[in-house]
Amino acid sequence: MTFRGFLKEKWLFLTCQTVMIAAVSILLFGLNFNISGIVFIGICWLLAMLVPLLWEYFKKRSYYKKLYDSLEKLDKKHLLVSVLEPPDFIEGEILYDVLSQTKKAMNDEVAAYRHLNEDYHDYVETWIHEIKIPISCIDLVCENNKNDVTNSIQEELVRIDRYVEQTLYYVRSLNVEKDYFVRKLSLEQIVKSAVKKYAKQLIVCNIQLQFDGLEKTVYGDSKWLDFILGQLISNSIKYKSDAPTLLFWAEENKDSVLLHVQDNGIGIPDSDINRVFDKGFTGQNGRNFTKSTGIGLYLCKQLCNKMYLNLYADSQAGIGTTMTIVFPKDSLTSFREDK
Amino acid sequence: MKIYIIEDDKKLRAELVKLLSAYKYDCSFDDDYENIISLALEKQPDLILLDVNLPVFDGYYICREIRKQSDVPIIIVTSRSTDMDELMSMNLGADDFITKPYHSQILLAHISAVLKRCNSQSVAEKVEYRGLTLYPSQSKISYQENETDLTKNEMKILTILINNAGRIVSRSDLMNALWQSDEFVDDNTLTVNVNRLRKRIKEIGAPELITTKRGLGYIL
Repeated sequence: MTFRGFLKEKWLFLTCQTVMIAAVSILLFGLNFNISGIVFIGICWLLAMLVPLLWEYFKKRSYYKKLYDSLEKLDKKHLLVSVLEPPDFIEGEILYDVLSQTKKAMNDEVAAYRHLNEDYHDYVETWIHEIKIPISCIDLVCENNKNDVTNSIQEELVRIDRYVEQTLYYVRSLNVEKDYFVRKLSLEQIVKSAVKKYAKQLIVCNIQLQFDGLEKTVYGDSKWLDFILGQLISNSIKYKSDAPTLLFWAEENKDSVLLHVQDNGIGIPDSDINRVFDKGFTGQNGRNFTKSTGIGLYLCKQLCNKMYLNLYADSQAGIGTTMTIVFPKDSLTSFREDK
Repeated sequence: MKIYIIEDDKKLRAELVKLLSAYKYDCSFDDDYENIISLALEKQPDLILLDVNLPVFDGYYICREIRKQSDVPIIIVTSRSTDMDELMSMNLGADDFITKPYHSQILLAHISAVLKRCNSQSVAEKVEYRGLTLYPSQSKISYQENETDLTKNEMKILTILINNAGRIVSRSDLMNALWQSDEFVDDNTLTVNVNRLRKRIKEIGAPELITTKRGLGYIL
């Protein structure tokens, strides 16, 4: 709010007053009034006019300045009115009232969508739990009637299950609420249990497994980590070389534990490496080798972010890929353990 | 070993019975969910497999009610997999918790682990097959007067082959079973293990039991 803008707003008042002063001065001059007396009246009149004007200007200016400042600081702008003090001038009150009403309307709208989203989220979760029953059933039927056909069905079933799982975690990654538990975990245990889940596929492609230095503790959600590792393993299988190897090794430094999942697969071209965690990014490999959705690694990254873990990829095309999960060490907990 | 199955999906239950029967478990179940608790206890099972989503009462309620009257081991089998569900199950007195879809080998492993933990005497101390006796807990086998020690892997392989006697067990199934007990063997190691197992059996004078089916696996 500039002073000029403010005065412009008051033009009619100012013009009328100026005309009045001029008219009165002329009148008094006509009545042979003392010149200094006329000037004195004029000055008094001007002061009486300008002081309240200035006072109004500074009051409004400070209020609107506060309004803009608060707006700038807020990251949810529609909540502006909640941090504002009610003003004591009429336009301000109107503004305040309008803002309050729009905030309420906005809140209702947000609540309606949130509700809708929750419903959808609940439905998807329920659906996922329901679909698992027929999946279990088919798996058992195959297990009870083992032959080449059922083996092949079981292999496909694992893929279905993996996609279902992916959906579950996708829905969970969108959830605003925190639905994971960070706990102390044995790195060796989570890696091995993830490997066991993929045992069939790993065995079929005759992979050479190796574990090194995994006897470490990390903090995270076991189910989420299981899913993330599963995605990394499944990628290593998808983009494997002719004599595949898969190495899990960990290293520990001052403030973190690093888990590397290293394969000797086809690798990721340099042009793609920075984008592998982008949603929907499939890259050269995704197009050339197998159908890829571009969701797996994106999800891993999202889940890692939620748990405050870092995930990055190193790769050389034709030589292999190393995915690394960084578990930060809480200096406080390790201090307590040292004691 | 008697297992009582509380599961409302009939097809899944039927397949479960088939699978467990193949592993010499005696299974029973009922469809009267109003009185399922007393029906289950009447059968005096050694273990109860309990689903969570059931008509009339949910699994958690049933679990709590059974616990009030009996110490029978209970494994909760559910498709819900959150930590909350797991915590609930354990708090209500369940002995174990498996999420669907489970791998059959994992289910069997959980069942035998719970049984072993809950009543160590009643678990088969020894298994006999054509004059060959296995002592899983001591990792030993004997034939007539002779006996020899087996490694963990050899024991595991032999147990699986005996459980599936008359059926071909593929190499990948054997490897899978070994992987599930933390032995991440590769193809060559499996061959070595099986060959060594054959040698051990021969050493104690038992007849050649394991037959190789080229390209398929092994059969007893």
